[in-house]
Amino acid sequence: MPVPNGPHGHGPTRRQFLTRAAILAASAPTLGAFLAACSKPGQSSGTPTMTLASPDHPVKWDIADDNKPIADGLAPEKGATLKIYNYADYLSPQAMKSFEDKYGIKIEVSTFNDGDEAITKLRSGVDFDIYNANYTEISRLVGGKLVRPLNHSYIPDIKNVWPSFTNPWYDQEWRYSVPYTIYTTGIGWRTDQVPADIGALKNPYESLWDPQYKGKTAVIDDFHTAMAMVLLKQGITDINTSSQADLKMVGEQLQALVKATSPKVTITMYNDLPAGQMGLAQMWSGDIINAQSYLPEGTGPEILRYWFPADGKGMVDNDMLVTLRGGKNPVLAHLFINHMLNPDVAKENFSAIGYQPPQNTITPDSLVAEEFIPENLRSAIVKPEYFDTGYRLLELDAANETAWRNVWQAFNAGGS
Amino acid sequence: MAVPVVTAPPRQALPDRRRRTRLWSVLAAPGIAWLAAFFLFPLYVVLCIVFGQIDPLFRTPIPVWNPLQWDPTQFTYVLTHIVGENGVYGQAILRTFIYVMVASALCLLIAFPVSYYVARLSGKRRGLLLALLIAPFWISYMMRMFAWVNLLQDDGLFNKMLSLGGLFTPDVKWLTGQPVVVILGLVYGYVPYMILPLYAGLDRLSTPMLEASRDLGADRLSSFRRVTLPLCRPTIVAALLLTCLPMLGDYFTNDMLSASPKTTMVGNLINDGVQAPGQTGQAGAFVMLVFLIALLPMLYYLRSVTRGSEVAS
Amino acid sequence: MRGPVSWWNNPWRPPRFLIAITIGYLLWSLLPVLIAVLYSFNSGRSRTTWQGFSTRWYWGDQTLSVWHNDALHTALLQTLKLGLIATLITVPLGTLFAIGIDRWRGRLPNGANFLMLLSFVLPEVLLAVALLFVITTVAVPVQLGTTAQVVGLVTFQVSYPAVLVRARLATIGPQYEEAAMDLGASPLAALRRIIVPMLLPAIFASTVLVFADVIDDFVLVRYLSGDASTEPVSVKIYNTARAAPTPALNALATLLLFAALAAVVIGFLVYRRMTRGDNTADRGLGGFTGEA
Repeated sequence: MPVPNGPHGHGPTRRQFLTRAAILAASAPTLGAFLAACSKPGQSSGTPTMTLASPDHPVKWDIADDNKPIADGLAPEKGATLKIYNYADYLSPQAMKSFEDKYGIKIEVSTFNDGDEAITKLRSGVDFDIYNANYTEISRLVGGKLVRPLNHSYIPDIKNVWPSFTNPWYDQEWRYSVPYTIYTTGIGWRTDQVPADIGALKNPYESLWDPQYKGKTAVIDDFHTAMAMVLLKQGITDINTSSQADLKMVGEQLQALVKATSPKVTITMYNDLPAGQMGLAQMWSGDIINAQSYLPEGTGPEILRYWFPADGKGMVDNDMLVTLRGGKNPVLAHLFINHMLNPDVAKENFSAIGYQPPQNTITPDSLVAEEFIPENLRSAIVKPEYFDTGYRLLELDAANETAWRNVWQAFNAGGS
Repeated sequence: MAVPVVTAPPRQALPDRRRRTRLWSVLAAPGIAWLAAFFLFPLYVVLCIVFGQIDPLFRTPIPVWNPLQWDPTQFTYVLTHIVGENGVYGQAILRTFIYVMVASALCLLIAFPVSYYVARLSGKRRGLLLALLIAPFWISYMMRMFAWVNLLQDDGLFNKMLSLGGLFTPDVKWLTGQPVVVILGLVYGYVPYMILPLYAGLDRLSTPMLEASRDLGADRLSSFRRVTLPLCRPTIVAALLLTCLPMLGDYFTNDMLSASPKTTMVGNLINDGVQAPGQTGQAGAFVMLVFLIALLPMLYYLRSVTRGSEVAS
Repeated sequence: MRGPVSWWNNPWRPPRFLIAITIGYLLWSLLPVLIAVLYSFNSGRSRTTWQGFSTRWYWGDQTLSVWHNDALHTALLQTLKLGLIATLITVPLGTLFAIGIDRWRGRLPNGANFLMLLSFVLPEVLLAVALLFVITTVAVPVQLGTTAQVVGLVTFQVSYPAVLVRARLATIGPQYEEAAMDLGASPLAALRRIIVPMLLPAIFASTVLVFADVIDDFVLVRYLSGDASTEPVSVKIYNTARAAPTPALNALATLLLFAALAAVVIGFLVYRRMTRGDNTADRGLGGFTGEA
């Protein structure tokens, strides 16, 4: 490029240009090496495969040498702030207050909208003590050394939960987790906007594609949950499928869904359905029970309805509480988990958040007898038999999850 | 923003000039260092992540620092999925463009008359009007959107007004997938950002020139069209840029006013993808695309400004 | 004769059309906010149905009001903290940058100037995502949390004082400085004793405006936040608005509005006092916001 010469010219002289180019060329590799040294350690995991748990292949997680449980008989930390990382509105304020009063400490709850956001924050080193996990993440949590194994001596109240949860397939010998809530995923609606009895239809999932409900529907904002529902609608029971054909079909059905009813994609059904922003939605059983407390004044709970297959052949899952390795208050964390397993606390939590805990004292019959759940929402009660016949959302391997997520991303972009 | 006036070259001898250059460079150094470290470097990190690897277990991004080892898979994935048979992102990008252009045009249509009036014709009430115009700046953007969420709810004031006090019930869900609501939300949010630069530019128009055109016989409309408008062109361009470009990255307006795939914007694609395992690189690719799209008008604007500053205005 | 036709065609008529548009715009712009402020005094839980006047959401309600809810407290404190720290760093940084760039000729300052203007108009989400990447993948001594948020905010806001100060410098012109140097002052002394005092109004104006802008910021602080104690009010509103909001949220936003308003009013009054004898400064609101 022709440049005028001289120190007052507009461009670099040829000598300057060559010098600068030489410096750049010489420094590029060293700059690269320098930056590589600056990378955060622990970026790549090293293990190319992850152990995927399923009911047919139960997994007992290892306890690494550098990640041993805490010692027995330690005193709870004084004057501390217990940091809980949880979904919004998913922990009873009264349960927290009673724990705070009992030990003279403070609890601070941080919220996340979905598990991916949560894991990103956990990996970046924020020091939460307790995390509300799902077993679709447990391989990553244990493999990434994000969770601390439990010392069972602090948690005697485990005897109050259903026996199957002391040796669940996803965490044999409950080394890392305790169960928190159990729930089913079905369809919820309100009779004033949707007068039909969705539960009596031949294929209730189809109702979300029914154009007469345009603008009134919603699906859950989680790729696995929503896409699994599409699979179930088509009669495919392997809701963790890796079949390309099945995934392609799901993608097409989702596009049809947008065209037919243009649903909202959210996890706040417990608030939006009672507020009237939607009339028919894919919902968790706990959400419809919780929705009762969000109804505006003047609207009674008898307009709410829920459907889940009576034979239990639908989506059944549970959430868990885990203690985090980066947490500064491990003893308090154990004690809090134990606190939540206490039958009275669990019952109060149930009434506050709507999600059923797997407590031995809370059976479907007792709930009906105490009229804890109104008649019109009996189908939202989670029965132990569901766990034998139901389908679970399992953790997917890397390639399969990428394929699933791509389909979901296409749906979310509202495209093609 | 004022256009810097080009000063005459100093008349001092050379050593003084070099000494003073060192002074200015020392003063500017902290700012330059900050921008380089926290603006340029992060953009480079974005490139390293887009062209980097993905961890097989966590599917988190692993940045590759050496440009010679960059892997274009993720970037080409995004590019190939914009148009064509795999084109899933094309609609969202196109939609963003349409929303931003419509919203900017509406902003201009609203902001121009208002700022014209306040700048030139409001006389004594100018201070008060200006204060009211600036007020939205200091009301939290979130709160302004939140206010609209309240109004547009099923039992909100808007529906109450529409139903004319119970005569009939409107059956539209305003907060689910309505492009009109999202566009109006964008307009509502960004109009104050357009009013201030327009006000400043219109304030500086020379009154004698405008009066001259009226004196020479043009009526109001014609005088406006043929004299005022061409004089304000640089101001309008600057105001449009100041409003259009930030709008390209907006995602929370759509999130709050319509949580539906029907109105997804590029900002939502970025926001959803950043923390999703395996898709961080794709989000980074969108960041790059938006950056390039925002860069070009800025370059054009800067060139036109520096060229214009050589002619005294 | 004052018939309706001549009233319409009066050549000295006020610009009624423009006045109507302006009033309409002001109503459309401010009414929703006023309504939201009004509902913060609602005695019931609803944000859409008026149920009577009460201050329960401010201090009355034992668990949910702003005064009693620790989460909302922390949010307010975090907002103010971020505002103060970010402003204290941004304004000196931007001012020095502007003074240096304005006088320095060459390609590096031109490039830096372009970079600064670019950071002014780029969508905030780009910067937020880029900084998030840096913090999560590069071994920097910064964690997600207040420090990261401050860094992001300063980077995003530094162009504001830079632009305002440059505009003011352009208006001042070089003559005062040259006069001082002709009288024997060194460039640094001329800067310190002549220019900086003349810039004080612009510096002060930019302080107030950066503060008001920072306490309102959303995208950057959300991406770079750590746990809930580092989430400011804007993030709290966003999180809660999508779930189950109560009028306490309206109360929180109203409190923030009053804080910002107070800052600006005080700032403007001080600005007027500072420019009392200054003929080159525009003493109206236009000059305050740097738009003159």
